[in-house]
Amino acid sequence: MSTTAPDYTLLDHTADLGIRVRGTDLKDLFESAGRALMHLMIRAEVPSKTQSIKISVSGEDLADLMVRWLGEILYLFAGEDVVVTSIRIGSISSAHLAATLETAPLEPEVHEILREIKAVTYHQIQVTETADGWEAIVIFDV
Amino acid sequence: MEIKLQKKDEYRWLIPKTGEMRVPGLVFSNSELIKTVEKDQSLVQVANVATLPGIVKHSLAMPDIHWGYGFPIGGVAAFDMEEGIISPGGVGYDINCGCRIMTTLLRVGEIRPMLKGLVSALFRNIPAGVGSRGAIRLSKADERKVAIEGSAWAVRNGYGQPEDLERTEDHGAMDGADPSVLSERALKRGIDELGTLGSGNHFLEIQVVDQIYDRQLAKDFHLYEGQVTIMIHSGSRGFGHQICDDFLKEMGKHVSVKGFQLPDRQLACAHLKSDLGRRYLAGMACAANYAWANRQVLMHLAHETLLATLAISPQDLGMELLYDVCHNIAKKELHEVEGNEITVCVHRKGATRSLPPGHPKVPEIYRHAGQPVLIPGDMGTHSFVLAGAQGAMEQSFGSTCHGAGRVLSRTKAVKMAKGRAIHRELEDKGIFVQSRGKRTLAEEMPDAYKDVSQVVEVVHQANLAKKVARLRPLGVMKG
Repeated sequence: MSTTAPDYTLLDHTADLGIRVRGTDLKDLFESAGRALMHLMIRAEVPSKTQSIKISVSGEDLADLMVRWLGEILYLFAGEDVVVTSIRIGSISSAHLAATLETAPLEPEVHEILREIKAVTYHQIQVTETADGWEAIVIFDV
Repeated sequence: MEIKLQKKDEYRWLIPKTGEMRVPGLVFSNSELIKTVEKDQSLVQVANVATLPGIVKHSLAMPDIHWGYGFPIGGVAAFDMEEGIISPGGVGYDINCGCRIMTTLLRVGEIRPMLKGLVSALFRNIPAGVGSRGAIRLSKADERKVAIEGSAWAVRNGYGQPEDLERTEDHGAMDGADPSVLSERALKRGIDELGTLGSGNHFLEIQVVDQIYDRQLAKDFHLYEGQVTIMIHSGSRGFGHQICDDFLKEMGKHVSVKGFQLPDRQLACAHLKSDLGRRYLAGMACAANYAWANRQVLMHLAHETLLATLAISPQDLGMELLYDVCHNIAKKELHEVEGNEITVCVHRKGATRSLPPGHPKVPEIYRHAGQPVLIPGDMGTHSFVLAGAQGAMEQSFGSTCHGAGRVLSRTKAVKMAKGRAIHRELEDKGIFVQSRGKRTLAEEMPDAYKDVSQVVEVVHQANLAKKVARLRPLGVMKG
């Protein structure tokens, strides 16, 4: 992941791990959430060679879209051994987003796995507009 | 939502029916454990589960209850087959997470000098940790067979003995598994994860029987003081997680279509009779069977490792499966409700089946004693073997507790462990621990869990299961 840490805070839950993430707008919020997820799982230098992939995600509403979006990034890691190194969201609405991801294959010598996140849950999921932007609360199964 | 608990007696608390609740909640606990429960939101979750359509009798909580997503962990709920629902969140992501214990003929003194080497050897031979891949890479055809046949597939392919099947809940295979309902992603993840331990609270442990509570039951289970046992705690890996995830997403939509009023989105569910409900059950059974096959393969790998490292014959090691039981599952079972025996779908999320003596589903070798109930502790404390009791059939749909239950969040545990060498602290207690994940030891340290002996005492006193023996860890392999 990039050298600057994304803007998120850890929420303290007994059984699981939660984050509160903020963004200036929806694009920023979803990008930050994706970066926070990778930041929780992996520590690595920015790789020299990455592959660019485009993904689009649909959901019932913003909360569902958030769960599915993070679920896609997690699946790339857990199912395809692919690490997302940078995220750019091209377009976003309440039910759809399109993003370009820079990715690199997971390499145990390069990527230090910090913790396993097993799933993105719907539990207490929140995506809300605040006075100075947007905020989301997401709880992960670890 | 504020929960008003009514103390019924020393081991039972009632959550009276209020608001949208269809049935009352019933919590098994004691005066000390209930204090930690009241601090988190898990009692609200017990009440939330009580609002689900078709719930029968009570929304139940075992003494190890703690906050989960949707259903609490340590929650049990039975649903009517006609009106009721099935919920992936009521099973959990790790479908058929469970454990098995193997007895050996070894005594603690014989292996103590070799303990470090033994744990290291287990570590070399058994893939563990995040993203670990198995020693076995399945063909697509074999993966389908694993999903349908469970442990029997493993035994047929040389992993263990035919008699292991009788000593596994449901003979290591749940009926109704249908791989055609699974997503490409689930099938992809299942290809190379068989025979892997996983991470987090999953472990493989070398233990010693250090206390016997019931001499006759211990004899029935071939347990004696000073005996070395092996315990495996693992589940259906990414395969099961993907199946849960896929169906949660689909059921989320279903809920909005059917207009259920859910207090929490993670409680997404479908009617048992609906096509979606049936498909989830068929997919869940695939994951359950995969988990049984996984523990069967893990047992075989541990057996091979012990033989090679200790350089002894299989006869001298004398390793035998005591029992394998799951604690994350939903099952159609016969139970007596208001004087009638009816089929209900029992969700056990962090709860163990506990069948009494004489029950037809208890293996013949244990029928007179009751089903062995296996309760893993955390890595620094004891695990327990119990026997199923009649009270479980009367009070909790044949269910009891599943473990210690967390009291500290992982972040708090890591903070608390700062500056401490957890592995050294454990070594001082005679427990040798090796872990793959950097943070695992801190996150899983003993302080992070409830006192498992208290949890077990509650289920013993409430007659949900009987205490048989206590097992102390000697060597622990964590994911």
